[in-house]
Amino acid sequence: MRDALLLIAAFVTSIAGMGWLALSMDVHWRQVCGNAFGSPAPTKRLRALGTLGLGTSLVLCLSVNHASIASLVWVMALTAAAFSIAFILTWRAHWLRLLFPPARPTAG
Amino acid sequence: MFQSFRSAMTWIHTWFGLVLGFVLMGAFFFGALCVFDREIDKWAIPEARFEVQPMPSFDRVLLPEFEAMSPSLETMQIWGIVADNRSSLIDLVSIHETSAQGDARTERVVKMLDPRTGKVTNGDHFKIGSEFFYPLHYSLTLDWQGLGEWIVAFSGMMMLAALISGIVIHRKLFREFFTFRPGKGFRRSTLDLHNLTGVVALPFHFFFAFTGVLIFVGQYFPIGTTQLAQLHELHEQLEIGESKIPTERSGHAAPLASVDAMMAEARRRWAAHGMPGEVGVIHLRFVGDANAHVAIYPAATNSLQDLLNGVHFNGATGAVLQVDPAPNAVQQVAGFLTGLHLQPFRHWPLRWLYALGGLAGCVCIATGLLFFVEKRKHQHAKQGSQAIHVVDALAVTTVTGMVIATLGILIVNRLLPDTLPAGWPRHDDLERYAFWFAWLLAMAHAFWRTAPVAQGRMAPAWVEQCWTITVMSVTAVLLNWITTGDHLLRTLSDTYWPVAGLDLALLTVAAIAALAGRKIKRRAENASMIAESVAQDAARA
Repeated sequence: MRDALLLIAAFVTSIAGMGWLALSMDVHWRQVCGNAFGSPAPTKRLRALGTLGLGTSLVLCLSVNHASIASLVWVMALTAAAFSIAFILTWRAHWLRLLFPPARPTAG
Repeated sequence: MFQSFRSAMTWIHTWFGLVLGFVLMGAFFFGALCVFDREIDKWAIPEARFEVQPMPSFDRVLLPEFEAMSPSLETMQIWGIVADNRSSLIDLVSIHETSAQGDARTERVVKMLDPRTGKVTNGDHFKIGSEFFYPLHYSLTLDWQGLGEWIVAFSGMMMLAALISGIVIHRKLFREFFTFRPGKGFRRSTLDLHNLTGVVALPFHFFFAFTGVLIFVGQYFPIGTTQLAQLHELHEQLEIGESKIPTERSGHAAPLASVDAMMAEARRRWAAHGMPGEVGVIHLRFVGDANAHVAIYPAATNSLQDLLNGVHFNGATGAVLQVDPAPNAVQQVAGFLTGLHLQPFRHWPLRWLYALGGLAGCVCIATGLLFFVEKRKHQHAKQGSQAIHVVDALAVTTVTGMVIATLGILIVNRLLPDTLPAGWPRHDDLERYAFWFAWLLAMAHAFWRTAPVAQGRMAPAWVEQCWTITVMSVTAVLLNWITTGDHLLRTLSDTYWPVAGLDLALLTVAAIAALAGRKIKRRAENASMIAESVAQDAARA
């Protein structure tokens, strides 16, 4: 049970991490908010969050399995997370606002 | 010849991708199915539908079966028992010498045993997953001179080249990392999906193509029997000298000691080393001789390598001869690379991710083929060329035709009676014929119904084969119910996932194929309406 919860947490953090990395890109920020980055642009903060998310996911994977299996689970989780984010951006882009409260359409 | 490096890479990517894409599609599709090979076996063999059991008693259950399988103890070479962590029926393999016309030859007898009853199963069952889809994945079942393995290995090499050249020719690798735009026209969205499935799953594609090629390295670089043959032999002699495992009979008869006691000792040793586990594989040699050798290996559950941590016993005395040494660095790397591909472990989240990775590979290759056709079909239509018709027909054969062939073998498996009338071919042969015949029919249909592509229109073959897939998938699920009584409500309430999972997967395939068929039909109708109105406008003008 503990392992299953940790693995779910690993998947969730990798999806969040990929989501933050996508938001750090101008084109996807526009898809989510409808306008360009404000000033100052949150690019660096989003990239840092993204890296943290993916890193946390690796630590969680390593806490469940031996490093050999954990590395594979992590790489494959990143792949699945990137697919999820790509498809969310295609069909439900506004969902990503949940990941980063400042990401919302600005008036005007 | 080429104006730039990028155009050279484009040429490689396009043409090798086109020619070998058909083979790679098969390797990826059946590879993805192989993640569930033992589960497919259980669907195909109703007698195997029960939970995985621990290894039964050797002394009471397995020994009498082996004695019945071998003509005499003097000629027995190997008795092997394989009870991996996902198979319910246990494989018993007996290899013994036969001297046909003076030549020393060996004969191999394989039986499947139900560990609950201790009885071998009747009839010639065919494990569609592990005995057909699995070899199909790496050898196309073309066994002559290892031809299939060579073709798949070469395709694997070219897959690596296609991945690298793909990265070179992709203009916006990072900028379009998360990009899929289904609304931006068929050609654009096809290319987006090709790039997305190629780039996002790149680590998977790269490592699986690479390790797949690596696993068969002995096939194309057989240096152990050629250039380094002498060194190889010398090394073998040294290893034998250092090992306490006997390599030949002593000539002194001695009865076999209790193998159950040896299994208990092996389990105790694994637990003492912090790796508790069930017995997965047992190998016996020279039974009946004082030099009898029994090797016991654990079933890999959360490890990348099986056949590690083997404990070796003297079969006559039951004493431990030696324990496999810990693998050295080279063996560890080799074990990691081959283990990540062969996946002996039971880590279900990772297995599912592998299956999705394999299907992403299929989508990548299929969209590559579709893009090739879309990019050229109008130009070819103007030139009156038939080349694009051939490519599209082969694409239909590979994409939907392959699914039809797979469903064909499942359906025939459920239709054939357990005992076939005298004079009929064996179960496995009939099921194989069904597979290839279904694929051949799909191919004939694909060539017949893709002719409109040569006029720049959408081929009706795609829609028709999508519908065929829907009907066949539902038929397979219904036949499973009718012939075994295992309908989804029962398998789901019993949480018997091997059968419930495959039935659910078949129904999902049916739904996806129906949706895809409807969508393609609409698109074709819209395209023809636009073409008609353009033609009317032109006539008016």
